[in-house]
Amino acid sequence: MPVFPVAGSEKFANQPASREETLRAVGDSVRLHDVDHAVVDALDPLTYEVVRHRLTSITEEMGEALKRMSGSVVVTDCNDFDAAIMDEVGDVVQVGLYNTELAASLDMAANWTLRNRSRGRGINPGDMFLCNDPWVGGGLHQNDTSLFAPLFVDGELFCWTGAVAHQVDLGGASPGSWSVGATDVFWESLPTPPVKIVEAGEIREDIEDVWLRRSRVPKLVALDLRAKIGANNVAHERLRALCEKYGAGVVKAVMRRTMDDAESRLRAKLRELPDGSWTSVAHQDSARAGDRGIYKIVLKLTKDGDKLVFDFTGTDPQVDGLINCTFAGLRGGIMPVLLTMLCGDLPWAPGGIYRCIEIISEPGTINNCTFPSGIGKASVASAWATTNVATECLAGMLDTHPEHRKRLMSVCCGTWDFALLAGVDQRGGGFVTMLCDSMAGGLGARSDSDGVDTGGLACIPMGRVADVEMNEFAFPMLYLWRREEPDSGGPGRFRGGVGASSCFVPHDSPIGGVHLVVSAPGKALPLASGLSGGLPAGTQHDVLLRGTDVAAQFAAGRIPGSLTDLAGDADLLPAHHETDLGPDDVYYTHWQGGGGYGDPLLRAPAAVASDLRAHKVSQGGAEEVYGVVFGADGVVDEAATTTRRAALRRTRAGLDTEEVTA
Amino acid sequence: MAYVIGIDIGGTFTDAFVADESGKVAGTKTPSTPPDFSEGFLTVLDELAATLGVGTGALLADTHYIVHGTTSTLNALVTGDVATVGFLTTRGHADSIAIMNLEGRYAGLGADQVQDMVRTDKPKPLVPPELVRELDERIDHKGAVIVELDEEGTRMAIRELVSAGAQAIAVSLLWSFRNPAHEQRVGELVVEEAPGAYVALSSDVSPRIREYARSATTIMNTQVGPRLRDYLRPLEVELRSRGFQGSLLVMQGSGGCVDSSDAPSRAITTIGSVLTGGVVGCTRLAAELGHRNVISTDMGGTTFLAGLVVDGEPVSTTSTVLNQYQLNVPMVDVRTIGAGGGAIAWVDNGGNLHVGPRSAGARPGPACYGDGGTEPTVTDVDLLLGIVNPDNFLGGRKQLSKELAAEAVRMHIAEPLGLSVDDACAAIYAIQNAQTADLVRKVVVTSGHDPRDFVLYAYGGAGPMHCVSYAADLEVSEVIVPLGPTAAVFSAYGLAASDIVLTVELSSPTNFPPEPAEFNGAFFQLRAELEDRLAAQRLRFADVEYRSEADLRYTMQLAEVATPVPTGDLDAAGLDGVGTAFGQRYEQLYGKGSGFAEAGLQLITYRTQAVGVLPIRPKLGEVGRSEGDAQPTSRRRVFLDARRGWQEADIYDYRVLAAGHELKGPAVVEAPTTTVALPEGSVGRVDRLGNLVIRYTQA
Repeated sequence: MPVFPVAGSEKFANQPASREETLRAVGDSVRLHDVDHAVVDALDPLTYEVVRHRLTSITEEMGEALKRMSGSVVVTDCNDFDAAIMDEVGDVVQVGLYNTELAASLDMAANWTLRNRSRGRGINPGDMFLCNDPWVGGGLHQNDTSLFAPLFVDGELFCWTGAVAHQVDLGGASPGSWSVGATDVFWESLPTPPVKIVEAGEIREDIEDVWLRRSRVPKLVALDLRAKIGANNVAHERLRALCEKYGAGVVKAVMRRTMDDAESRLRAKLRELPDGSWTSVAHQDSARAGDRGIYKIVLKLTKDGDKLVFDFTGTDPQVDGLINCTFAGLRGGIMPVLLTMLCGDLPWAPGGIYRCIEIISEPGTINNCTFPSGIGKASVASAWATTNVATECLAGMLDTHPEHRKRLMSVCCGTWDFALLAGVDQRGGGFVTMLCDSMAGGLGARSDSDGVDTGGLACIPMGRVADVEMNEFAFPMLYLWRREEPDSGGPGRFRGGVGASSCFVPHDSPIGGVHLVVSAPGKALPLASGLSGGLPAGTQHDVLLRGTDVAAQFAAGRIPGSLTDLAGDADLLPAHHETDLGPDDVYYTHWQGGGGYGDPLLRAPAAVASDLRAHKVSQGGAEEVYGVVFGADGVVDEAATTTRRAALRRTRAGLDTEEVTA
Repeated sequence: MAYVIGIDIGGTFTDAFVADESGKVAGTKTPSTPPDFSEGFLTVLDELAATLGVGTGALLADTHYIVHGTTSTLNALVTGDVATVGFLTTRGHADSIAIMNLEGRYAGLGADQVQDMVRTDKPKPLVPPELVRELDERIDHKGAVIVELDEEGTRMAIRELVSAGAQAIAVSLLWSFRNPAHEQRVGELVVEEAPGAYVALSSDVSPRIREYARSATTIMNTQVGPRLRDYLRPLEVELRSRGFQGSLLVMQGSGGCVDSSDAPSRAITTIGSVLTGGVVGCTRLAAELGHRNVISTDMGGTTFLAGLVVDGEPVSTTSTVLNQYQLNVPMVDVRTIGAGGGAIAWVDNGGNLHVGPRSAGARPGPACYGDGGTEPTVTDVDLLLGIVNPDNFLGGRKQLSKELAAEAVRMHIAEPLGLSVDDACAAIYAIQNAQTADLVRKVVVTSGHDPRDFVLYAYGGAGPMHCVSYAADLEVSEVIVPLGPTAAVFSAYGLAASDIVLTVELSSPTNFPPEPAEFNGAFFQLRAELEDRLAAQRLRFADVEYRSEADLRYTMQLAEVATPVPTGDLDAAGLDGVGTAFGQRYEQLYGKGSGFAEAGLQLITYRTQAVGVLPIRPKLGEVGRSEGDAQPTSRRRVFLDARRGWQEADIYDYRVLAAGHELKGPAVVEAPTTTVALPEGSVGRVDRLGNLVIRYTQA
């Protein structure tokens, strides 16, 4: 069935609204707290710093509360969540150090709620709103569920707090809400626009039932809902005390000034950099199961004085599949890199940072799609690819400056290697889980040092993977290995961090196997680009071996150490796939490293030798890509290395290599 | 006469404390003597004996036990001066210690460092690749053997490690805590192939689920075990030769000690040895003073440490982070939450004033030290605000320069912000106190408590200068500055007053409740292991107490909550009671309504702690009663409260104060080890033990 525009969906096609628009829409239905700018100007350095520190502290407490209360491995062990404090119109004052992608559009969700929910049942003390509609904001795909809460002080809506986390399953055709066959959003989890699920401090049971009914794991989703309620409660209690002590006006003035400070310092940093334009293109292979198309996101970043213009003109139109993202996803793609590369030493106040950037993007493109495009995979598809182009452009810009280049990274882990397992666990209970091993991606190389091996993802400063034992306890699986993969980091004068692989077989499942959903592009072409002559990291590589002899090898006292050690039919998996694993089927998932920096032929041979010893590069990789030759004793052959590098340079230039070797 | 002695060896000073049965106590300190710390140990004993007016031999002959707090294991790990370790693990999983669950890139770092993500890195590998071997063997989550251990391959791997230079072997196999058979066999093969080599098995050191932390714990234990053994053995021989017939005990991070013969095999438990002395000291003092809940704050020149005592017991944690590695070490939860007096004040490029977290450290130290430091620190500010007397710092041992301090504040803070030096100092002082309150509050709240239910103890050189301010912010009921005869050697007092504490645990993840027989059987096994180990301590105990807990969680939740378990066999109803206790503790930690019992419960780890109560408990002597009011020795201009500004304050010399004296703020009390600031609205009273008890009326 063709995908056609849905009349009535315009209401949810949210764009950030200005303060004036918001006030107009709210009218007098809710009194919004404000503070005169004179109070902001009059803040003394002492009060500012004390209150600012306390706001940061509150955001941290929210994150900790959410993390420890949640029931999803994705949250508790992989930190795929975040928390934020916003001002009265939703501008984000402080964002937590978890998945910053998720929190990048909380402002849009809170602001939409103000504009669309102030009337009728209204917005009142003790209310909390749930949202998983990425057209509205508050997340990148439907799994990202936000819960945001207005805080009232003296009858006025003083500010908002919000918590957002990936929910393991919210319905849809495939488990994990990851419908790899989707052509539009109706295959996927139902997007839920902001709904008042907590009213006057109490969970509304009717609304909660509607919310949980769609999920394959409602108990888990219910627990996460309570975790988010707890996080907001913690923040409200602390913010109320802060307002009592310093006065609401002063606290609000500090919020304003925090955003102003982030803005002015980012602008100052931008002024130190030369004006110019940088371009990047990111490709995605396959939009859904069975599709072999290639889809591009094009970015031209222009730095002009103290502002950045992100121009996505030329990006492909939205596609029938699950890889599109909404405008919230596009912003979520940009914000993490702005924070890590430009704001490492500034307050993480997106409300101020957004003022320094302008986004040019055509609705109806794959990273600014319209309803009802499929977006089930948005966070790790078009939003991720947006992060990749933003990384490459911003890193290129920073590379022009001797000091600021210390804060650049090449593209980190080019794609998310999604593997979802579902079925019956060893205790007889149903389960659905995203295997989060690929959180341990390689980070991009820096301008003066290698990228961190299995160091994480660009968007999550504090990512985590679960221990093998924890996964084997929780799910019916047995790992043959989890290990770093040589040559998976992008070669360069400074090498990109290596990625890794996991290989497992279903184990101890009462139904004899597990269901597997794979959604992992970056197989047809490498996506973690290098910088300044650095090469990209390798492609993603997933293999399913059917009917192996793994049981016989175990019985014979052997643990297979590589795929070639196993008999069986090897199936190189496409980007999107859904199947069942039987008891003798082995699944191998190899995710990506980070891009390199600088010409690999300039890498110190001693560093290559050290990488070889530590299994970060193979001997073949060392010789073919780095041009480092080793003698029989494993020591670098300096003369042969010089010759080999000269030959490689001539080959690059299209010259005959014979002259050098002769 | 029977004595007990506590000896606390820190990086700079070696402190000693002695008590006899009659309640007589004495303390002394001497410089530490790295790299051979035992020299300082023996020197301080001589000095202690001299203080008592007896010979060292006589003192030692009558000493029942010496409790030793040592920084040596921690220092060895921090500096990397450790034994060369070979590591054996399950095939396919050697990279676990390199991947570090990826959290190793940021674990233990402050928020400001985490935020600067581009500059974060993993630490140096625990074991270089050439010293790691993988073994063919596999056990599954139920403890079933999936692949038999390849003994020939194991023997070869051990020989290879030894020839590659391994001095000690760490073994950590998947699921070994569920079924230790393979590890134990590997241990036997190590003994055969590498006789005399120190070997540690993860199923002994840390039988807890999650292989990354278990392996890291086992490896670090193996790195320091041989060093601790080689330090303690000759020390004990030396003490024996001087007439000592008692027990040499080593303090652990758990807040209790262990016999020196038992310590090396579990060396990792002694990290945190010196950190916990202060909290143990607070616990004992709190018992004397009748305080059940205490926030312990130790603010020194380079660190700020915070710990908690709840219901008379130090709050413990089951794991810690060292060098960015996650370690399974049950220990007193002492958190380093700030930079202490060395915290640097600075102005960012947006014109905002910050204090810390960067520290001037011991070198160059604060600007006022005149050792080359040019950036303003909290200590500089304390000096300029009149709190610290430049002639009486560390009892007059260090002369401070107001000029250098003022210059640092003027250049780096006052001029950039357009403030006077006085106003800049006032702002720095207030920011430091407010941030301290934030950080301490987080420690209290994340442990599931409310600061208002606590008394705050403040010690360390710098703590008492700031405590009333951050205590008022936290709304604690009162502040105690321990200033009695133990003040200078407070940690050593804590050591001498400690007990034997042994902790054993076993992961056996299962849905909760399990069959009562399984549950009781697990604790029976732990209890039997503890009884064996207690018997090996070569000591008579006044009493032995057992405390059990189970780490429970809601199904699929990875944060477990240690839940107390009553002693004795439990029936089904008893297990339900444990489940209920978990639910209550969970709500206490995370808020009402946060628990969701319908998701089901899981039990992950069983744990039992034995406390062997030692027969001699040092009693603190009382100080003399006052006759008449306290007399200030002088007055000077000080700044203690941003709302009041500069005020004339009474200055008291602690040495002439007596029990019952009341001091009204604004005032400053100069003691030999510290200075106490009493802002207006606060009243300090000297109690019968010589401590200063401070109450305040202001919010």
